[in-house]
Amino acid sequence: MKTGTSIPITGVSACNGLGLDRGAVRDGLWHGRTGLRPTSLVPFEAHVGEVVGPLPDLPPSLIDRTTRSAQMVGHLIATLEGPLGRMRARWRPERIAVILGTSTAGADRTEVAWRTLVDRGHLPMDYDLWHHHTYGAVLHIVRALTGAKGPGWMHSTACTSSARCLASARRLIADDVIDAAIVGGVDTLCAMTLNGFASLDALDPHRCRPFSAERSGINIGEGGALLLLERDGDPLALLEGIGETSDAYHISAPHPKGDGAIAAMRAALLDAGVGPEAVHHINAHGTGTRHNDAAESRAIEAVFGAEVPVVSTKGYTGHTLGGAGATEVAIALHALHEGWIPASLGATPVDETIPINVVTARTSGRFERVLSNSFAFGGNNISVLLRAP
Amino acid sequence: MSANREAAVLGWGLCLQGFPSATAWRAGEPVEPFKPSGALIERRSRRRCSLFTRAIADAYGEALAASGFDGSLVATVFGSALGEVGTMIRLLDTMWRGTDPMSPMAFAMSVHNAASGVVSISSGNRGFTTSIGADYDTPAMALHEAFGLLGGGFEAVMVTCGDEGVLTDLVPAGTEWSLTCGALALAPVELAPDAPRMARPVLGARRPEEAHRADLSPAGARNPCAGIVDVIDALAAGWSGPVVLDRGAGAGWTAAVTAADAR
Repeated sequence: MKTGTSIPITGVSACNGLGLDRGAVRDGLWHGRTGLRPTSLVPFEAHVGEVVGPLPDLPPSLIDRTTRSAQMVGHLIATLEGPLGRMRARWRPERIAVILGTSTAGADRTEVAWRTLVDRGHLPMDYDLWHHHTYGAVLHIVRALTGAKGPGWMHSTACTSSARCLASARRLIADDVIDAAIVGGVDTLCAMTLNGFASLDALDPHRCRPFSAERSGINIGEGGALLLLERDGDPLALLEGIGETSDAYHISAPHPKGDGAIAAMRAALLDAGVGPEAVHHINAHGTGTRHNDAAESRAIEAVFGAEVPVVSTKGYTGHTLGGAGATEVAIALHALHEGWIPASLGATPVDETIPINVVTARTSGRFERVLSNSFAFGGNNISVLLRAP
Repeated sequence: MSANREAAVLGWGLCLQGFPSATAWRAGEPVEPFKPSGALIERRSRRRCSLFTRAIADAYGEALAASGFDGSLVATVFGSALGEVGTMIRLLDTMWRGTDPMSPMAFAMSVHNAASGVVSISSGNRGFTTSIGADYDTPAMALHEAFGLLGGGFEAVMVTCGDEGVLTDLVPAGTEWSLTCGALALAPVELAPDAPRMARPVLGARRPEEAHRADLSPAGARNPCAGIVDVIDALAAGWSGPVVLDRGAGAGWTAAVTAADAR
């Protein structure tokens, strides 16, 4: 792959269990406040990171496409108004792509519709597969609300989905197909996902505790983030390197030695043309399962050694699945911009077999480069390297 | 032209209702009984795969074999408008009818990138793979991603698109579609100057009259990924000219194909 192609990130919005906008998310991280709460969505004990508060209605022309995902991206677009307006003023609509990621798409709506079918023998009269379930449904909302007319697709690679968008957008810009892109992604809570992870015995019924000796699984969260990438512009940060690899090991378990994760992190460094010593902080995938955290920490140690400060932010937001990659890139921007990283919430006492520097208190410093990891079902791995402007 | 504008097509494969390969499709005689084999998928995983994943793997395997690419090194792009929707519906049925506990393996195989994952595992491929969806523009957008990879330096990229036959409960009667999967093996033109070529998709004339169309059944033509069959049919026929990458419900992305003997 080509190296040295840094792309400016010129805008960002986020919402998750910590709050409805990036300021609220920042405050939660700063104060070490979790967004995880008990849920009644399933008939067993579970904690989730739910977006609390009203999501705005879609405009009348889109109202028949209302889903929680659609409202969430509508909200994220509304909170991006300033930088999005500047982007639209600079580039033609045909040169602005919409590349997003999701794991569940409209599964929450289909889940409810299918229950109606089971109970009454038919789907709800207002249910429409194309408006409410598919990947294109959310793309349509973003296009309609932003006017973007360039290429558009959804990555759906489970928990790496919304991180992959950054790579695709960068390739389209490098190939001169587009000048700018709206990237990121969202996922919403649904009972099927909670039941599914419970069937894998992967849910912690209490608040998740990534990297802790007492960790016992994940919490599912909802939310996501949108980011603006432009050929040039006034950057919040620079997208400097990306590594995309596969484990080729197991459909739902990470490679025990983290081989695929190691390859992704090394590929991101190679892409950026920098060595491991240039990275000052890692936002880990850090889900809180025994196997994931063990494998990821071994992988981080193999590439970076034991000293680089590592944080998992899933103790704040839960695992937002397809929205996690973009969410954690958005969180990483705080380190680059404001010079602090949050505590890895719930990590104390850190597992003594975890061979890396898990940060257990908010830490200030100079973080010029930050790496964000995302790993997924299918053995799908991505590492994203960001640099301060 | 550079790799990000035009690509050499080194192989193709199909698996659509009644036709388990591109060879069978060109012969024009439906094969009965039709049952995608998933032969490329290692045996233990194959038992857990949906019919859709097996069909995707069959199309992929045929194109890969024709190309001569090393399956452990090639970059792979999988496209599907709905992915493993049948598996998801079975999970919902399990959940709402309360008859059985949810199967962890079925849950793991319900993700959109199940095919991407099992092909990667079966091929020992530790490189690039992704899985995308864009409704009826899925083939066009999968090709955009593939051209991006070629432009970025990859020398072998597989694009595989398809959707399973939709469950009749999910769409209005008369709009159902049948299983349709197709795969293309792409390389930079510099590495295979004598091979057929295809251009990067562009938004052009909505329905150019001269565009090639495969002779699909009505149910096959309604599949969101029918456009990939049109491309493959054009290439297999040695045809040169535009191909529209959707059958009417997409944005009208078009790609030009050029037969090997047309230059």
